[in-house]
Amino acid sequence: MFLKTLSVVKIKNVLLVTVPDDPSDKMVYELQEQVLRSLEKHRSTGVILDISLVNVMDSFFARTIAETTQMVSLMSGMTVVAGMQPNVAITATELGLTLGTAFSALDVDQAFEILNKALS
Amino acid sequence: MNYSNSNYITVFEQWEDQKKFFCFTEKDAENLQKLHTISAQSCDEVVESLYDHLLQFEDVRIFLSNPEMIKRLKESQKQYFLEMTAGDYGEAYYEKRINIGITHKRLGIPPRLYMGAYSYYVQLMLPKIYNHVDFDQKQAQELFLTFFKIINLDQELAISAYVHAVESVVMQQAEEIIAMSTPIMQIWDGIVVAPVIGTLDGQRTQQFMEQLLNQIVETKSTIALIDITGVPQIDTATAQHLIDTINAVRLLGSNVIITGIRPIIAQTLVHLGINLKEIITKPSMGAGLKVALDMLSIKTS
Amino acid sequence: MLVDKLTAQGATGLSITSESDIVACRKVIRDLTTQLGFGMTDVTRIVTSVSELARNVYVHAKVGEMRWNSMRSPGKIGIEIIFEDKGPGIADINQALEPGFSTAKSMGMGLPGVKKLMDELEIVSVDGKGTLVKVKKWAKVK
Repeated sequence: MFLKTLSVVKIKNVLLVTVPDDPSDKMVYELQEQVLRSLEKHRSTGVILDISLVNVMDSFFARTIAETTQMVSLMSGMTVVAGMQPNVAITATELGLTLGTAFSALDVDQAFEILNKALS
Repeated sequence: MNYSNSNYITVFEQWEDQKKFFCFTEKDAENLQKLHTISAQSCDEVVESLYDHLLQFEDVRIFLSNPEMIKRLKESQKQYFLEMTAGDYGEAYYEKRINIGITHKRLGIPPRLYMGAYSYYVQLMLPKIYNHVDFDQKQAQELFLTFFKIINLDQELAISAYVHAVESVVMQQAEEIIAMSTPIMQIWDGIVVAPVIGTLDGQRTQQFMEQLLNQIVETKSTIALIDITGVPQIDTATAQHLIDTINAVRLLGSNVIITGIRPIIAQTLVHLGINLKEIITKPSMGAGLKVALDMLSIKTS
Repeated sequence: MLVDKLTAQGATGLSITSESDIVACRKVIRDLTTQLGFGMTDVTRIVTSVSELARNVYVHAKVGEMRWNSMRSPGKIGIEIIFEDKGPGIADINQALEPGFSTAKSMGMGLPGVKKLMDELEIVSVDGKGTLVKVKKWAKVK
């Protein structure tokens, strides 16, 4: 629960990115940078953004996720956003936010399933 | 999103407005302080006399049977009476009055009883003000009018608090009914079902959305079947809420299947220009369930 | 908690001068609304609005401040949050409230979205002089 920094872990061909509960703008920028750099370095084909700790998602954060998804896709990867909290989903919907072409999963396990199915 | 805020309990800004509405001015506050000596002198007498009066009535005696309780009530009654002429009619005054009203409701004392007490106050105070040596006829009239205003304001607060308390009970019951009419349950590993019965208004859809999303996350269900066979009609706002719900469910990583769209609902949705193109719809819950099981690759014979 | 520390110092405001202040604004309002008794979803709505508005101040005016007032009466709670800056101002407020309109590189969901998340939204802006945005949210409590 006390995660303060972004964590990017490579698991086989997937990058698992865990975002802390209240990410600053700087951290959101960093997320995009790190994901793209790691993607290039490890030649990963899937990215899981675990946002289960995140308790606020505004238009800036949503836009960055949507953009990152597009960039990952240009680098022939696939992005799954996992574990969005119900309150965050309700607010995001009311705010009119979307995650672009990113897939959604209830948790990291299901995100792996989605990626395995799509990438196999 | 849209809370139908109770109009009976005002916020403090509105309390200031309310005083204006009752033509209660700074001058009245000063006037009441002039009456404070009279109040302080006659406080014991007024309250004793009030209780003698009240206790003549059978239905009052039912409420006030315990001597200890009567003693306590008399004390707080005295406090109440003295505060009326204490000169401070700000936030604290307002809050105390509201809380007294709410307490009355909780104790089950009907408004009729304490409304009678106000009338009795006026009766007792009138001669005291008019016969006081310090005031001439014109002053006495002005002071009495002021006293009458604070009585009116106090009555208004007591009634507002009472109505608010009653309203809260009604609302709580309404909420319970709402919760009962949208049971959300897991019918299969990975599938939740939410039959919606009755009219969907803003507040209800709101609650429904929260419950459905929480249930989806708790049970890790990737499919939510929303059956609206029991929804008699739908308006723009509700349709929008329904779309919001579907989008929110998708953000979580789950899919929605809507079942039981009746002709009238289909007509309304199309006329409203609501796009359900990307949403799976099925005529009945059974058909919806079959699709859901197929999606999860669960074999049924 | 940050809000307790600020309240102890008698503060009901926070200045916005850097990007990290956006996080501070969110934290204070999250603590405050939670303490007041808002439900989880409402807290998220309010904090998300704060995030949008604080970022608007930082992006468009660089410097500004956030002030708050909480209200509590029997059965009802409320919060009022004010954002003020001396930035360039909003040329056309009605346009800014249209979904999809954006001067900065966002989704254009900022102001119209905030309007949807909060109960009241008030904008006063003088071209070239600055902007004041006031939002309110109410909730019934038992």
